[in-house]
Amino acid sequence: MDARLLIRGMRARHGWIYRLAAILMFALAADGGRAAPGVQAWRIDETHTSIGFKIDAVGFPTTHGHFTHYSGRILIDFERPAKSFTSFTVDSASVDVGSPSFNDFVKSTALLDVEKFPTLNFNSTQVEKLDAHTARVTGNLTLLGVTKPIVLTVNVDTDPSSKGRVVAFLATGTITRSEFGMLFGIPLIDDALEITIKTRALTNE
Amino acid sequence: MSEGAASWPLSLRFLHWLSAALILAALMLGTYMVQLVHDSAARFELTQTHKSLGITIFLITIVRLCWRILVSAPKPEPAAPMVLLAARAAHIALYILLLLMPLSGWLMATTTPVRVPTKVFSLFQLPYPLSPDIATFRFAHTVHVTSAILLAALIVLHVGAALIHALAWHDHTLERMWRTPRKAPQLPGRR
Repeated sequence: MDARLLIRGMRARHGWIYRLAAILMFALAADGGRAAPGVQAWRIDETHTSIGFKIDAVGFPTTHGHFTHYSGRILIDFERPAKSFTSFTVDSASVDVGSPSFNDFVKSTALLDVEKFPTLNFNSTQVEKLDAHTARVTGNLTLLGVTKPIVLTVNVDTDPSSKGRVVAFLATGTITRSEFGMLFGIPLIDDALEITIKTRALTNE
Repeated sequence: MSEGAASWPLSLRFLHWLSAALILAALMLGTYMVQLVHDSAARFELTQTHKSLGITIFLITIVRLCWRILVSAPKPEPAAPMVLLAARAAHIALYILLLLMPLSGWLMATTTPVRVPTKVFSLFQLPYPLSPDIATFRFAHTVHVTSAILLAALIVLHVGAALIHALAWHDHTLERMWRTPRKAPQLPGRR
């Protein structure tokens, strides 16, 4: 079948998708109100993004894990860093700690309780520039349905060869999981959970 | 228990060697995973397998003990009274440790603050009737490790004694654990 005919047919059958897309585009444009001149939305390069964590324990090896499904937004204003904003929503069932049965355990009610809390969210509330390559990002983390402020230190690196079109971020921070009601294994498993978010943002401009 | 049969019943021989294989596997796996495995996912998986092996050994030991009451066991080969007494004490100690190892392991699994469900070979889940309690967990851990060291030492003694019976004393003690001896014991000059 001719490709154009196929697309026309799909458009007719799935017209609601196009209407939904139009609504979303309108909503995003409206959200651009936050993005005053100078604030620019960047695309997240998923091939260079990892949302990881690390936790130590007594009598058990350090556990490293990451989440494979997430979505995020990065708005950057290089002139006025305080206007920058980021948010991430992570699919909690996409946790990977290295083996299927270990994953199942981490997803269980003992830890992430993914059936009850399918997502983890982070929304920045404050961005402070510390030096040319470092920022402090304060934001609200929602974990197990509890929202608490956390602080991330973010290394910002622009790739000189990309002519300012690629920015690499390395965000690190420590959360106290008991504050979110995640009490499993304390004190044999540490209360402190280190998080490391590596990402790259791209722009076409 | 009645005594005097020529060799161990086939059922008990089978359970003895099956236990031997499982016990060695559980001891080696337990030592290996704790001492040498530094990857958390691998440690998690191996711990589940170790717990499954332990519960299986516990169930087999219960069956063996019941079976020994019901069926006739062969009379010990003639030996000095002290040797017979030592053998009997070692066998009783082995059975006690074969029960104590899984029981202390289960107590660890049920009282640890890091309580992970024990799914025995993914077939059924072990009940955890006690609440997590770190003092009880530490006690159970000490019992488990001490029992493991004693069990390993007793296995060396058990294997060594079996080899002495077979190679130095030339009696049927070892042979009758895996087949029916073809000849009557020949023990010139020994009781």
